[in-house]
Parts: sequence; structure tokens; C-alpha cells
Amino acid sequence: MSGKQFFIDRYAKLGWKYEEVKLKRAIRTNSINNHGTSITKRLLHRGVQLTKIPFLNNGYWICKSKFSVGATSEYLSGLYSIQEAAAQIPATLFTNLEDKLLLDACAAPGGKTVQLADLMHNTGAIIALDVDKQRLTALSNQLERCHVKNTIVYRTDAREVSRLKIKFDRILLDVPCSGNFATDKEWFNRRTLEDVKKNATLQREMLSEANRVLKDDGEIVYSTCSLEPEEDELNIDWAIKKLELQVEEIDCYGEKASVNIFGKRLDSSIEKCKRIWPGQTQGFFVCKLKKKVSA
Amino acid sequence: MIKPINYFIGHLQSEIRLNEQLIIKKQNRYFLLNEKLKSLVLKDFFYAGIYIGKVKNEKFFPSFNLLSMIARGKANKVVVDDKTEWLFICGRDVFRQGIEKTMGSKSKGDNTLILNRHGECLGFGRITRNLDEDGAVIENVSDIGDFLRREPLKAK
Repeated sequence: MSGKQFFIDRYAKLGWKYEEVKLKRAIRTNSINNHGTSITKRLLHRGVQLTKIPFLNNGYWICKSKFSVGATSEYLSGLYSIQEAAAQIPATLFTNLEDKLLLDACAAPGGKTVQLADLMHNTGAIIALDVDKQRLTALSNQLERCHVKNTIVYRTDAREVSRLKIKFDRILLDVPCSGNFATDKEWFNRRTLEDVKKNATLQREMLSEANRVLKDDGEIVYSTCSLEPEEDELNIDWAIKKLELQVEEIDCYGEKASVNIFGKRLDSSIEKCKRIWPGQTQGFFVCKLKKKVSA
Repeated sequence: MIKPINYFIGHLQSEIRLNEQLIIKKQNRYFLLNEKLKSLVLKDFFYAGIYIGKVKNEKFFPSFNLLSMIARGKANKVVVDDKTEWLFICGRDVFRQGIEKTMGSKSKGDNTLILNRHGECLGFGRITRNLDEDGAVIENVSDIGDFLRREPLKAK
């Protein structure tokens, strides 16, 4: 079960008509490193034209640039990061991040870790994990470039966080996923439903472990850049039923997630999750989870 | 443990002092923590707090975070114009004509920080000729263009 038409038919059943997408490049300014002349003015002076992304506080689309925005002294000084618009959403969904103990369970290459440190104003602590040494080096370079001060990085699998013996206030679970066609031209040729199901199983294991290390009043933000419901709505439905997590309201760009997936009726609270179909951004799925409060 | 770090800081005529109690070492790399991180960190960490630099063959190689920390206070530093800023982060030496302001030492053999017009530290170099002389006067030792020369990053 694979191929472009197979997946396009699935999207149609979920209520979305497939269209080609030309992804817009985006940056996110790092507010803790920006003092004095505004970064937008500085980039404009260099000939980089930006447009504010309406649904993000620090996000800008690059409208015009004669050179790579990854090679300016502003970028190298950590004044901004290159980060796709939808990928900027998950970190903004937490409440009250300052002084919190936060787990970034699948952190590399570090775009969201830097964003979290920025939102925390470098207070509290972030424990950032990943398994691949090369990706951890990329993460470390990002932390150094952006002057992040509140992060400890471990080479650890997100399914083995318990070994750290820490309970977290906040957990970002931006899980490894199947991705989507908007960021990968070969996506339809590369992916099968079997891959999707395999990823969904891994994601459930990560959700279980995150639930184990979450404080009773803590928050998990779960996100994927997959459009496949097995990795999105169906996993959250499973987490509600098996892990006794509850879905919280979030206010962000995107559509209400579906509570009816291919004829299967899901928990009604799933509609609080947001599904972002490719268009202005790549495809994404986000939701916020908390432990169910017993009556 | 932090002798080579303090030696480097002193060589820039900076007065900042790092709290040795909050510095941890991983292989040849040094990191500065705060109290919160110190209470959390385990031995097998990969990166923690502020990366300070590394020691290789008894020589200290400072991180850009350390250079930025030093640049905030009194130290040898020069402010360069926009053209020199770009050339410096491409690995080139600094010519006298590109220097707009000098603070601290102008003497041959001393190290000096290189700052852009916005006060951001771009790296450091070694003064090879008196800063009043024409031509290349500061040899590039380390610059933030290094982030581009390291393994390629991909934004997630």
C-alpha cells in the first residue's frame, strides 16, 4: 500500500484535496540575542526582504534574497534561525515556560531547542536528547551559535528517559515521523503504509515514556510533520485511552483535527488537536496533552 | 583545571573570572554551568550550559560564547567596518583601513577581539603589526564563519 494516488486518496477521505506546494523559506528571530537595531532592518539593509508570518510572533517569510540567509553575520551571531513556519508552532504551545524543567525528547538538529531556550529567556533547564552522534554535534553547534545557556544534551533514546531520574514540567515530543511531500519531492515514491505504521509504533513508545517522566501538572506538546493519521489522530486517541492523557485546547494556526478517521470514531477531544495541511507551510500536526485529573 | 582558560582570558587583558566550581570538563571540552544545571547534570552528558572551549596539545581554543562574554567587558578589541566584517568571517586577516575603533592593546603579538559595528563579537586575531601601520595588521585566528565550515546543518 503505497504510491502517490494511494496517499492522495487517503487525504481526500480526510477532507483535503491534494495540491502541489512550493514551500516558502522562513526564519525565526531569537529575541534574547536581539538588542539595538532590529534584525529585520539589518537584513533589509543587506537586501533581504521579509514578510511577517501572521500567525507567529517571531517568524518571517523570506520574500527575496540574493544570497543564502544562512551565511550572514547576523545568522552566525545567533540573531535568527532558519526554521520552517509550521515547525515554529509546537514550542509556542506551552504555557508559562520560564524557570521550568523541560524535556526536548527528540531534539536534533536543535531548531526547536533554541526556540524553547529563547521562550524561556535562558532560565530553568532544558534536557535535550537524541541518538545520532552527528545530529547531536549539529545540535551543539546550534546551541553555541545562538548563545543558549540552559541546556544539557545527552545521547539518549527518547524511550529511555527514565534513566535520568527526572520528572519534567514540560515535554516537547517532536517525534521522528514519516514526514510529508511538501518537504520531500520523492516522498510518494519513498513511503509506504508499512513505514507509517512502524513510525506510529515508535511514537507510541515515546509517548508512554514521556507520560512516565511527566509531573502530574505537566504538559506534553506532541507534534509530527506527518499527514498520516496513524502518526497523528490515531496515536493521540490511543494515548487518551491507554495512557489516560487528556487533550488541551490550543490556539494556533491549523484546522481542527478529525474525530472520524476512515470510518473509525475517535475521542471527541481530538478535535482540539490541530492539523496543518500543506499550503502556506509544510504539513504538520500538533496537540497539547496533560495527565487526566481524577475527580 | 581552568589554568589554560584563565591564561587566554588574561592575554586579552580581560578582567572576567570564571567560577571554577561551575566548570565541568568532558574529554578535552570545557563547559560553564549555573547552579540549576550543576544539580542536574550527569557524567555522560554530551553538551551542557555554555561551551567555553577545548584544549588540544596544551593549547586552549576558545568558543565563540566565551569570546562574546569577554567582549562585553574590558578587553583588547577592535571594531571593524562592514566590508572587513564580511572578509573576516570568510577567514581573512584584518587590514588597518578596516578598523574603526581600537580598545586596549595595539601591540604586536597580543590577541584582540574583532567586533562589528553592532558590538557583536566575530572572533579574535593576533596583532601582527602595530595597529597604526598600513596593511594586514591582525591575523585571523578564529571567526564565526567556522559555524559554516563545520558539518552542514539542516534546519528542522
